[in-house]
Amino acid sequence: MNNQEEPKGWNPYLAGALAGLLIIFSVWFTGKYVGASTTFVRGAGFIEKVFASERVSKMEYFVKELPKIDWQWMFVVGILLGSLISATTSKSFRSQAVPAMWEGRFGPNKTKRATTAFVGGVIAMFGARLADG
Amino acid sequence: MNELIYGLITGIIFGFLLQKGRVIRYDKQLGALRLLDMTIVKFMLSTVIVAMVGVYLLKDLGLVKLSIKPTILGGNIIGGLIFGFGWALLGYCPGTSLGAVGEGRWDGLWGILGMLAGAAVFAEFYPVLKTSVLTWGVYGKITIPTMLGINHWIVIVIFAILTVLLFRWFEKKRL
Repeated sequence: MNNQEEPKGWNPYLAGALAGLLIIFSVWFTGKYVGASTTFVRGAGFIEKVFASERVSKMEYFVKELPKIDWQWMFVVGILLGSLISATTSKSFRSQAVPAMWEGRFGPNKTKRATTAFVGGVIAMFGARLADG
Repeated sequence: MNELIYGLITGIIFGFLLQKGRVIRYDKQLGALRLLDMTIVKFMLSTVIVAMVGVYLLKDLGLVKLSIKPTILGGNIIGGLIFGFGWALLGYCPGTSLGAVGEGRWDGLWGILGMLAGAAVFAEFYPVLKTSVLTWGVYGKITIPTMLGINHWIVIVIFAILTVLLFRWFEKKRL
C-alpha cells in the first residue's frame, strides 16, 4: 500500500470553502461553533477522575470544563472517522510512524519522533488553553 | 442526545474535507510554518471567508448569535507564542491530530497523549494563571468592527479583498 502513488486531493480553496459552508449550517441549525481544544481538557478530566475522582471534582478548571461528552467531544471523534473514511476510500491511507519531511531531516528513528510529538503536544495544548483557543 | 449526533456528523464531514484538502499531515503543517507550502493557509482562509460572510448574514437576519471569546492580551499573546512553539514540534494542531491518525499517521497518537497531558498540566496551573497572566490586558468580548465603531460589512469586504490578493500572490509564487 505504501508504494502506491497517492491520488491528488481536492483543491484546498474548494475543500476549505465547503468547510466554511459546513460551519454556517452548524451555527444555523444547532448554534454550535467548531473547536477542538476544550475536548482535550474534558478528556484529561476523564482520565484523572479514574485515579483521583474527588480531587478532580474540586479542581477549578475541571469544574469550569466538566469532564463530560458534549457536542465538541463528538465533533472531534468525528474528525478521526471522517478522515478515515476519506483516506480509505481514496487509496490515500498510509500507515506511517515518521512523516517524510521529518525523516528527511532527523532520520527514521521512531522514538525520537514520538518523544518530540508528545512534548510538542504538551506545550501546544498548554499554550492553546492559555490563549483560550 | 440529538446534540451529540449533530456533533458527530459535523465532525465526520469536517474530517472528510480536511483529508480531501490534504491539510492534516505533518508535511503540510510544517510546510506552512517553513513558508514552503501554503496549502493549509489556503484552506483555512477560504473557510474563514465563507463562514464569515454566511454567519454575519444570518446574524443580520436575526437567525443566529455570535460566539465571541473575550480578549485577554496576556493569555492570547503568551499562549499563542507557546502554542506555536509546541505546534512546530508536533506538526499537528488539536483538531488535525485526530484527522492525522485517521489517515494512518501514528505519530499523531503521541501528540494526542501529549495534548491530554498538556491540558492536565494547564488545569494544575489555572488558579495561579487566573490571578496573573489572565488579568493582563483584559478587553472583554470585542470585535474589530465594534472596536473601530464601523459596520461589520466594511471589515468583511476589506478582509476578503486582502485574502484574494494574498491567494493570487501564493499562486504566482507557486506556494
